[in-house]
This record gives sequence, structure tokens and C-alpha cells, in this order.
Amino acid sequence: MTRDWWKHLILILGVIVVIAPFYMMVSYSFKSPGEIDRGEGGFFGRQELMIDPRCVALRDPSRDDIAAAADRFPGQSERQIRDALMAEAEVECSMHPVVFNYSKAFTEAPLLRYLLNGVIVTVSIFLLQVVVALPAAYALAKLKFWGREAVFGLVLFCLLIPVHAIALPLYILLAKLGLTNTYAALVVPWTISAFGTFLMRQFFMTVPDDLIDAARMDGMGEFAIVWRVMLPTAIPALLAFAIFSIVAHWNDYFWPRIVVTGNRDLFTPPLGLREFKGDGDGSFFGPMMATATVIVTPLIVAFLIAQKRFIEGITLSGMK
Amino acid sequence: MAVIDTTPPGITNNTQAQECRAAWSLTAPALVLMVAILLLPVMVALVLSFTNYSLGNDGFDWIGTKNYDRLFSRSTYEKMFIATFTYVVTVVPISVGLGLGAALLINSLGRFREIYKTIYFLPVMATLLAMAIAWEFMLHPSIGMINQTLEMGCGTVIEAIWPFMATGCADGFPVWLGDKRYAIWVVCFIGIWQGFGFNMVLYLAGLTGVHRELYHAAEMDGAKSAWERFRLVTWPALGPTTVFVVTISCIRAFQVFDTIEAFWPQGGGPNKSTYVMMFAIFEKGVQQNLIGIGSAITVLFLIFVMFLTLIQRWLVERKVHY
Repeated sequence: MTRDWWKHLILILGVIVVIAPFYMMVSYSFKSPGEIDRGEGGFFGRQELMIDPRCVALRDPSRDDIAAAADRFPGQSERQIRDALMAEAEVECSMHPVVFNYSKAFTEAPLLRYLLNGVIVTVSIFLLQVVVALPAAYALAKLKFWGREAVFGLVLFCLLIPVHAIALPLYILLAKLGLTNTYAALVVPWTISAFGTFLMRQFFMTVPDDLIDAARMDGMGEFAIVWRVMLPTAIPALLAFAIFSIVAHWNDYFWPRIVVTGNRDLFTPPLGLREFKGDGDGSFFGPMMATATVIVTPLIVAFLIAQKRFIEGITLSGMK
Repeated sequence: MAVIDTTPPGITNNTQAQECRAAWSLTAPALVLMVAILLLPVMVALVLSFTNYSLGNDGFDWIGTKNYDRLFSRSTYEKMFIATFTYVVTVVPISVGLGLGAALLINSLGRFREIYKTIYFLPVMATLLAMAIAWEFMLHPSIGMINQTLEMGCGTVIEAIWPFMATGCADGFPVWLGDKRYAIWVVCFIGIWQGFGFNMVLYLAGLTGVHRELYHAAEMDGAKSAWERFRLVTWPALGPTTVFVVTISCIRAFQVFDTIEAFWPQGGGPNKSTYVMMFAIFEKGVQQNLIGIGSAITVLFLIFVMFLTLIQRWLVERKVHY
């Protein structure tokens, strides 16, 4: 330890730089606008009660409200009643900054809807990738057929094409089919994963032939073999691939940005955050950082719980 | 296959034909999708890059290589190439170097290895767009954490020995994202910040494959210093990892988009200094509906990326240990 102090010094400096934006993001999501502007309040802010001006403005009492409240304040003038009602509104509209920020994050924009969309899109992409890639991988690894080399060659060639790079022609094709601004547009381009096919094929190569022969002796067809014999053996590899796929598509911003325009019902979490930023005025830093925290948290928490699996999954492409 | 060998020839043919049919029906969905989603768009981009097509028009005119001529003559596209290559050439070596450095340091530690590894990997997991917005606040000229930290250095010795601090304290610190001298470097910094943890993890995996005996052997041969041991044993053993890490970092760097779009939704930064290729494709092709020019950029982009991957495959196949 003493001999290694300089190593720790360097690594800790690195840690500070790496952590800084996370620290700031979470810290701003706790603070009131005033504290953010003045840069005060440490990490959690002072959490003094603050008054939400919009909430008070919404409760500005009308004549009817004042008339209705007249019997609660007997013998007072209209002006006094009005002031009393305003004071009540201010009490009810005051809250801790952290509550304000997070409640605004969920009420100013349909954040729950965005999160749900994120889940729908990432999960459907992953499931479709498996449905498409697994049978092909099995055939390429274990069946002898005319044209196998050509198909495998095609898979290897497709590994060279990053889907983001061909976004423009894909967008044109989807637009021609009238599919922009649909879930299909978000999901379909990712259904074929050349990488997933390649990876599963490499994995199936290591599965002993005896297992498949035994299944055939039992009278199983090839389709049944894929789903009832090969799928269970492939669970560890699939889990790693799931992490790889889900992380990539939860965080993806480029593709949703291209095919979803304006229709908030289809926004994925990054698009939602982007829109929040677009129409945010100065006082909305807190709620915006709360939104960012909400979007980043699920993956980070999952990562902290299952680090080994995540690192394995994300660096999967390194295991070729 | 033992089962087939013992069966009469007629049945063998039958089984083979069956297997062939099954194999084709199993690969058919993947095959169709590969052609429709990956190959067809490449062809479409190639064809459209020679036209003046726009979405909504019925037809288009062939305009030969005009789109490409424009790419290589207009100053906007010159800026695009400069920004893209500046980004790639900066981010790749530094993020690979930092990844290797961090891996070596962490690997030599007895304690706290996992903590460092976890923390350095966090940016890889986090949604880049969200982190870009967090960085934007950090870099805010007046209330951002970076300039506030720098201001604390005013009036101390740092001001005397570092000219940057002296000018900053006198005339105000930079408006990082609005200044064409800094914008691209800030984006590079965030790219490095985001990517080096990924490289570190790959290098850590590579380091577990280096045999202990090799170090002993090198020491016997007179490699006394740590640097000699690194040069003679570690670096050559990490050769395959390095090839892979460099390629994947390049491909990822070419695709930079999220940070740029988050910081400068219109126009690619101050004086177009951060107008990278992905942003250009998005702006020209999708927003301005200039499909021809967007396709031409796409084609160039694909050529760069495929070329890089082919170099990597060629190096791996030759098992180069430099």
C-alpha cells in the first residue's frame, strides 16, 4: 500500500474526473433553482421548503373561490380573504426541492411513458434478434447444406456494416413504406444482428453433436431442436448478448432521433430528455437533471448488482 | 454422422435433402433480413449518391459524381472531414493509451482493484445523451463547476505559473462550448471520458492471459526495469487486444453524434468546428432532405469503416504480434 501510493493518487484523480458529471447530475437533481444558480448547498442542497410559482399561479383565487370561502373567514373583506387564500396556496405549493424536481420530471413530460417505450423497444429488439439469429446460428454451426459457406460469408460481410452508418438509406426505405413514427421503425432495423448470429454460431460449434443426434433419435425435428435443446444450452451466451443488446438500445439516441419526429407517444428516454432540454428555461435545471438521473439509473443499478455479467456482455464484441 | 453412415444410400439422400431444406428454412429469416436491412440500404445509398433525389419527389435525375465533387470542394465538407478526423485521431490514441495505463496500474494493485474498475466503467454504461447534458452544465461559463473550480485558482501561485489561468482570471474563463478554439477538444474530451473504461476492461482481460513465467524469463535475460519488462513481454502479448481495441475505438469514434447534437442542435458547433460526418448525414439527409449528398457522405463513411475492419481482420489473421 505505501509503495503503491502514487498509483492510487493517479487512479483517484481519474476517479474524480470520471465521477464529476454523475455527482453534478445527481446533486442538481436535489437542489433548488436558487442553489443551482449560486452554486451553493453542497451535495444535497439545504432542502429548505421552496414555493413552486407555477403551482401558486394555478391556484390564483377567482371571484367565485373568494365568495365560496367567505364563510370560512367571517367578517373579513374580499381582499383579506384573497390574501388568506393565497397564503394557503403558498403553503400547499411549498415543497422540498428534491420533491419538486422529481415530481416535475414526471409531470412536465410523460416520463413514465418514455421509460415504458424504452422497455418495449429494447425488449422487442432483443427477442426478435434471438428469434432470427438462433435458428440461423444453429443451421450454420450444425447442419450440412449446400450454400452454407456462402451464407456464413454473408454474415461475416454484414459484420462490417454498422447500422448507424446506413441510417439514411434505411430511413428512406422506412419512409417509403410509411413506417416512420411507429414502433416498427424503432425496432425493425435492429432485428437482424449479424454479430449475434456470428456469436451464437461460434457458441454452438462447441456443443457436442451427440446431444443433437440424441434429440433426433427421440424424433425431434430441427425446429424443436433449436428451441428445446440448443436454446437451454445457450443461456449463458444469450444472457451476455442480452446485456450487450439492451445497453446499446436503451442508450441509443441517433436512430430514434431520425425515425421519430414529434410524436411524443413514441419517444424513448433519451429523446424525452432531449425534448425536455429543448424547451427548458433556466429554472428547469433541477427537473431536467432529475429526468437524466431517472434515465441513467436503471442500467447503472443493474450494472452495480451484476458487474461481472455486464462487463462480460458489453465487451462481448472483444471475444471474437 | 454415425446414424447416417449405417443407413442405406437412398435414405441418406433423403435425410440429406431434408436437412438441407430444414437448414434453409432456419436461415431464411436471417438471410432475408440481412439482405433487406443491411445489403439493400448499402446499395440504395450507393445508387442515390449519384442522384439529386429528395423524399416526396416522384423521380430523380442522374447527376453523375456531382455530389462527390461537392464533398471534396466545398469548405463546409472540408470542415466536416477536419472535424471527424481530428476527433478520431485524438480520441482513439488517448482513450486506448489511458485504457492501457489504467489497466496496467489496476492490475499491479493488490487492493481496491474492483472499485476502480467499476467506477471507470460507469461512463460506458450511462446514457451518453444524458451525460452530455450533465457535461454541458459542468461547462456552463458562469455557473458551471469547471469554471467555478478554475476561479478558485485565481490569486494563487497557479496564476503566476500557468498563462492560461492568468488570462482566464483577467478576462474571464472560456465559454467552452461556444468557442471555436475549444469546442472540438471538449467533445474529444467527453469521447475519451466515455470510452476509455471500455478499453481498460478489454486490456484487463488481455492481461490475465500474459503468463507469469514470461516475466521471470525476461528478468533472467536482463530485463531489469519495469519499462523493459513492459516492452519485451506485456506489449507484444497484448498485440491482439490492441488491434481489436484500436479498431473498435476507431469505429465508435467515427460514429460520434450524441454529444454534438446535444450541444449544438443547429449547425455543428461554432464555425462548424464540430461538424462530424454522422451529424452531416443527419442534417443534410434527414433534416434538409438532400438525400443525394447525404448518401454520398454515407458511402464515404462506409468505406472508412469497412476499410478499418478489413485491416483489423487482416492483422488478426496474420496473428501479428508487434
